[in-house]
Amino acid sequence: MDGSTATVRAKPKTAGKPIWPKVPADFVRAMLAGHSALGLAFAALIYLVCFSGSIAVFTYEFNRWEQPAGPVLHEASPQAANAAFRAVLAKNPKAHDLFIRLPEPAAPRLSVHGDDAKGGEHTYVADATGKLAAEQKLPWSEFQAELHTVLHLPRAWGGFIVGLTGVALLSSLVSGVLSHPRVFKDAFAFRWGGSKRLQEADLHNRISVWGLPFHLIVSLTGAFLGLTVIIVGVLAVATFKGDTSKAYALFRGPTVADDPRPAAKVIDIAATLNAVKARYPDSRPTYIYVEHPGETGQHANVNVLTEGRLSRGETVVVGGDGKIRGEVGYESGSVGLRVLGAMTPLHFGWFGGWPIKVAYFLLGLGLTSVTSSGVAIWLARRRDKGRPAPRWERVWIAFVWSQPVGYAASALVSLFAPAPPVAVWGIATLASMGAAIAWTPLVISTRLRLLSATLFAGVALVHIGLNGGRFADPVAWAVDLGFLAAAVLLALSVRLSRPAA
Amino acid sequence: MSPLWGLALAPLPLAGVYLLKRAWDEARPERPWLILGGWSLLVLAIAASAPLLGAVRGPSAMLAIASTVALAFVGAGVERRNARKKAARELAPEPSDRRRVVWRGWLRGFLAGPLAGIAALGCGLAVAICAPGQIQSRMVIGGLMVPFLWAGGMAWTLSDDKILRAFAVLAGVSVVTLGAAFLKGTL
Repeated sequence: MDGSTATVRAKPKTAGKPIWPKVPADFVRAMLAGHSALGLAFAALIYLVCFSGSIAVFTYEFNRWEQPAGPVLHEASPQAANAAFRAVLAKNPKAHDLFIRLPEPAAPRLSVHGDDAKGGEHTYVADATGKLAAEQKLPWSEFQAELHTVLHLPRAWGGFIVGLTGVALLSSLVSGVLSHPRVFKDAFAFRWGGSKRLQEADLHNRISVWGLPFHLIVSLTGAFLGLTVIIVGVLAVATFKGDTSKAYALFRGPTVADDPRPAAKVIDIAATLNAVKARYPDSRPTYIYVEHPGETGQHANVNVLTEGRLSRGETVVVGGDGKIRGEVGYESGSVGLRVLGAMTPLHFGWFGGWPIKVAYFLLGLGLTSVTSSGVAIWLARRRDKGRPAPRWERVWIAFVWSQPVGYAASALVSLFAPAPPVAVWGIATLASMGAAIAWTPLVISTRLRLLSATLFAGVALVHIGLNGGRFADPVAWAVDLGFLAAAVLLALSVRLSRPAA
Repeated sequence: MSPLWGLALAPLPLAGVYLLKRAWDEARPERPWLILGGWSLLVLAIAASAPLLGAVRGPSAMLAIASTVALAFVGAGVERRNARKKAARELAPEPSDRRRVVWRGWLRGFLAGPLAGIAALGCGLAVAICAPGQIQSRMVIGGLMVPFLWAGGMAWTLSDDKILRAFAVLAGVSVVTLGAAFLKGTL
């Protein structure tokens, strides 16, 4: 947060006795220096992770939007799940594992994911009888999710960089709060126009303060999720002679011994689900991970979710004979396991239906604009002090608006061309950054926003044009409407931010 | 219970923020009551969400909804100013002006990044290995401490002008915690 809001107000207020203890000015100045240095060092990464995270809140909805034809199922019988499982297993009887996703309110599809004989991965959606209806293709949804979680880098490195970015964000929150002595005095001050630095500081500080609980939660959970590999790796070095699998095994529940000999019969998913349903009558199964199907050591990990809990769900281990071996304890185990089980839904806002998703989306975009305005404050401060950095002003504004362009362009191209969305996103980002060479910040901001608006409108219209007659899932309409709303808001923002004549 | 209960409770934080805004607008005799009422409504919204949405899920949902509602309210009160007319300014806090010395910059970066990270990892590891309690709980609590302590160490080392002091503390914490963790060596 920036301390530069300490300015003369339009309506002078009667000075009362301060509630907040007086913070020494030197301490504030030192904190501001640290806050500024850290923010600048990580600005681009924090911006990218926050922007992509805001979008990733709607990952389930994007999945449904990309495959709008269905079949849409609100529930699937155990027999249907078993039939779909067997149909996919028949395509590759030597599959190492299969992943069955059961219909749930956020994702009303029955799907089975598995490898083919050549190692290629496929996901099939099935109808209410378990008959495979189509192969699921979700290139753009997967692109945007992976950009947030690993930045499309190798998993260990990408996770570490995203985790480190979360740490930097958390650190910025700490130094920001400590360098903001007027947190109550300026609690509602939000001035637009006039001094650029004051405007950006008000935006930066108001969003930072009122969104602080959310900012703390997502940065802490995000950093933890990203740094898991490092934390577990060091723990394994200290306690298991470097064998990380032993550390992870502590969170996997009962183990079923690996036995590659052929089983008398393939695991029965219907019986498995019935057994779990009988043991957990108040829970809803969400997915089943079948390991070593057809082998003597075959078993299933069934995830069941209890309504009203902030949890990723309990994992129940069922042997090939249909007998329950036990559970991990994400919902009923130790405090640590329950906290771990809450981490992902709490980070992504996947625990309270669409109202929480919308709140997370808006608060996430707020955090994104806090990052953007933080750099803008630094640039405005330099300009105020007679040391402007015009090149950085152009580069930063181009980077900020390159992301809506990159996301919209990759979504649009993915609708009709098999080009990898990450490549389209990369090219669009670089091309937008190229604008920094030629145009002024105002022109860059205006043109990139208008380009994003056009592309977002194009995404919605092309999607409706290609799939409109086959929409089985109403969420596809909602997402298209969301894209159109984004286009309108971006175009309006250009109009509203135009300087008064 | 339906997640829509979260929306049904949204008027509570909205009313709370409205009262706080009224208290903020001008110093009037009822100001302390407005502040008390505003914060009480915010606390009530969080407390009411627990039985309606779940003991952990409810407050988590209400924090997100309350933040969104508060920001919308603050945004609605935007004061538009003439861009051509610069506002008069008081002296605003400025970041401390440090001498630019290359080695100090590199050392500060090393302290905030790798060394604060190692010290935080050491603390997390020491809790996971040496603290009492169930193994999984120790690991998760120790793991959660790592980003939090790393962030704190980062904020401290980047703002403290006495970087050798920061170096000594972080190095000491790293040696003690990692030493304890590796010496014990078992969970």
